[in-house]
Amino acid sequence: MSRKVICRCEEITEEEILQAIADGARTVDGIKRRTRASMGLCQGRTCRRLIAGILARETGQHPADLLPPKFRPPVRTVPLGVVKGGSDDA
Amino acid sequence: MHRTAEAVIVGGGIIGNSIAYFLAKEGIKPVVVEKRDIAGGASGACDKAIILSSKNPGIHLELALKSADLYRELAEELGEEVEYRQEGGMIVIESPAEWETMERFVARQRRSGLNIRLLDKKETKELQPVLSDHILGATYNPDDAEVNPIMMTLALAKRAKQLGAEYLLHTEVTGVEVAHGKVKAVETSRGKIATNLVINAAGAWAPLIGDMAGLKIPIKPRRGQLLITEAMPKMIRGDILSAKYIAAKYNPDLVAQGEDLFSRLGVGLSLGQTESGNFIIGATREFVGYDTGNTPEGIEAVARNAVRIVPVLERINLIRTFAGLRPYTPDGIPILDWAPEVEGMFIAAGHEGDGIALAPITGKLVLQLITGQKLAVNPEPFKITRF
Repeated sequence: MSRKVICRCEEITEEEILQAIADGARTVDGIKRRTRASMGLCQGRTCRRLIAGILARETGQHPADLLPPKFRPPVRTVPLGVVKGGSDDA
Repeated sequence: MHRTAEAVIVGGGIIGNSIAYFLAKEGIKPVVVEKRDIAGGASGACDKAIILSSKNPGIHLELALKSADLYRELAEELGEEVEYRQEGGMIVIESPAEWETMERFVARQRRSGLNIRLLDKKETKELQPVLSDHILGATYNPDDAEVNPIMMTLALAKRAKQLGAEYLLHTEVTGVEVAHGKVKAVETSRGKIATNLVINAAGAWAPLIGDMAGLKIPIKPRRGQLLITEAMPKMIRGDILSAKYIAAKYNPDLVAQGEDLFSRLGVGLSLGQTESGNFIIGATREFVGYDTGNTPEGIEAVARNAVRIVPVLERINLIRTFAGLRPYTPDGIPILDWAPEVEGMFIAAGHEGDGIALAPITGKLVLQLITGQKLAVNPEPFKITRF
């Protein structure tokens, strides 16, 4: 069961997430910094909820308190050429 | 919960953890109190450069050179993968005026013992083929290095813990008890810790801890916004900065007077590629209090600056943005000193964007200052009384 892959982008297993919790992680960000879970291409769009669920189960916190209150841009991947906007002279 | 500690370190960033490691190695067992998590602040929201090329000759460069030597030892000694690599660093030059400035900068740095030189256009392109054709040349220092700042901070914490340091994470310092001019205890959200020694390594939050003991610490949070791209095959070696970065770093007044977007946000390029292949691109330097948000104009300015210098980035996907608060001091040099009026309170903060680079020497120097050992460098420039 613990070999179950939770973060598919970075191939992080439930076992690694449990180790991060044992090391003191109490937030989704803390798990991320210790394991790379949700640092990949999808930025945790799939695994974030699963990780919050594992954290809630292991630490007795409420899952709703564990999800970040705001998301960082971009909402989906976008080429830098689009982000940089118009003319080249700032 | 009531406990006693030989020393309390406030802050679980790279500075607090480096100090914890050096103290624990010497048999002093600190308690580290961190309001969020290890590397939960600026140490987990920055780039990976251990760069000497950008350091002003003098005490700043001397400190960075000593720290770079220590990094080589620590990367071995910690016995953990921290992605330490020495692949050199470049500062790219885009105009004749920048060339002149950098020529003088490099001459002064060489006299201070840095192995840096100027490369012409052809040599620059040979080393970094992805650079834009308009780049006139670059400075190159083979001794610039890189480290994964999160892994480094976690590795220091892990070793410190093994050596007897204790960690109270997700624990906020709520007060510092001072009696007759001496530190007596640290009050936290999880109880009081009696101690005669408090080390304030809270980075941009250090002045808030200072306030609790009636101390004024002239550190201000300065926001750096960074971008992360999708992972790509290796395209660049080491770190790339722009000569504009040097201006943004050492001349904030000049930058504040500029009217364009780059000047207003203090944008200078710092570009690297992580071990995982992601590009990490920085950064703005903004005074916006404790706001760690990303802004559309900050993201735009950083992206535009990067694409101008490395055009292929235009087609590479942005996957993430983030921001960290650098602890700014008016002269760009950290404060490593006993508090003047509160016995037992030590301040180790104010590294601005150099916390990762200067963490090893900071840990060592703080240990030496606290225990009265022979000092690795002259401590005068780091005194709080200079302000």
